[in-house]
Amino acid sequence: MADPIISLIQILIFPGLIFLFILGLIFEWIDRKVFARFQNRIGPLYTGPRGFLQPLADFIKLLTKEDVTPRYVDKFLFNLLPGIAPVLPVFASFYLPLNGYPILHPFEGDLILIITLMTIYTIIVFMAGWVSTNRFSSIGAARAILQFLGFEIPMFISLASVAIDSASLSITYIADHQPIPYILLQPLGFIIFLIALQAELERVPFDIPEAESEIVAGWLTEYSGPKLAFFRLSNNLMLVFGAGLTTAIFLGGGSGPILPPIIWYLIKMVFVVILSTILRTVFARLRIDQVLSGAWRYLIPLAILQLILAKFLAVLVM
Amino acid sequence: MVSIIGWSRIRSPWILYMCTGACNACDIEVLAALTPRFDVERFGILLKGSPRHADVLVVTGAVTRQVAPRLKRIYEQMPNPKFVIAAGTCATSGGVYWGCYNVLGGIDKVIPVDVYIPGCPVHPQAVIQGVAKLLAKLQEAK
Repeated sequence: MADPIISLIQILIFPGLIFLFILGLIFEWIDRKVFARFQNRIGPLYTGPRGFLQPLADFIKLLTKEDVTPRYVDKFLFNLLPGIAPVLPVFASFYLPLNGYPILHPFEGDLILIITLMTIYTIIVFMAGWVSTNRFSSIGAARAILQFLGFEIPMFISLASVAIDSASLSITYIADHQPIPYILLQPLGFIIFLIALQAELERVPFDIPEAESEIVAGWLTEYSGPKLAFFRLSNNLMLVFGAGLTTAIFLGGGSGPILPPIIWYLIKMVFVVILSTILRTVFARLRIDQVLSGAWRYLIPLAILQLILAKFLAVLVM
Repeated sequence: MVSIIGWSRIRSPWILYMCTGACNACDIEVLAALTPRFDVERFGILLKGSPRHADVLVVTGAVTRQVAPRLKRIYEQMPNPKFVIAAGTCATSGGVYWGCYNVLGGIDKVIPVDVYIPGCPVHPQAVIQGVAKLLAKLQEAK
């Protein structure tokens, strides 16, 4: 009968809700510090040692601000969506083999379930912008959906290439059975997945929905106080989840000598986050038409090429 | 518990920047305060695009009659607790444009102001000092 208690501890504390929440704050700190260093700045410095508590201070401050609800928004959805948004990446992260074995029992096809959750997240972003009945939010929401149209397909195809090569749709199986990590076997797929992940997380160079030239704030414009806190939290949790998925699929999960699997998993996730931040630092923001034409003209043919190569690789191995 | 809330408010002041009709010199200087040379992100300051996200409104420029209702509207769109910094002599009292027929002269004729930063244009270090004084004021009020 100790089993439900262990499951409860796993879901709530480690590697569940509280662990993912803390990891989200730590990754935001890493992101901001690396971003600042690349720009010859220092980044957050005075909040806690070396600015470590800055994301926590942001979160608490937002929770205590007044919650303004504009008069003409759809009140039910406006209040509901910030609650749903963080749940999706957390639920998806429960299928990642963080400690060698995921919290929820893995099954063939949990890769597809995770992809579905990411799709629903983009739809939530669209609804959040649409429901705000602000002309800037509507533009941001429409651009979020347009960007999603461009990037889901190369992301799925690059994941499918790995799934074909390892003959399984279960993330835990793919993570455990990588004698050579897929970043070396399918580097093209890794690059395409990294670019598509950058677009999924709405980070520069693909952050048109969120920070539309910083004159307005895109789909987030009308959310203030606790609702904004939860959307920012969902952004951080998506970063954690994206890094975790990349690690499981392409970098071999928690495999590595001597140290326990969770430590290796964290090291690889930090590596992916730093890679994503470097992409964020180096590039400028792309226009929405450039994003779409780039995705359909370059990424999808390359992804299909990778799929064909993966099929040949699988045939060769057999 | 209350001190944690106060701590988080002092450590994370997000600013919204607005120009109410000026010669734009103060705008350039406030922008310079955000660049790597002066780097206000050390204090946790982020430049936000929407009034709904910001805590501190940094205003430059003498308030022209056309922009005055818009300034009031932006101030009212910000959620509580909110603070206002008047950057530049024009924002403080009208500056060179004091007495003009279309200028109200100083933003405290429209919205309540917490910190005044003189200068024509403001030095970015003065902007940082002004923000630090605002945070010190909050610290005492805690």
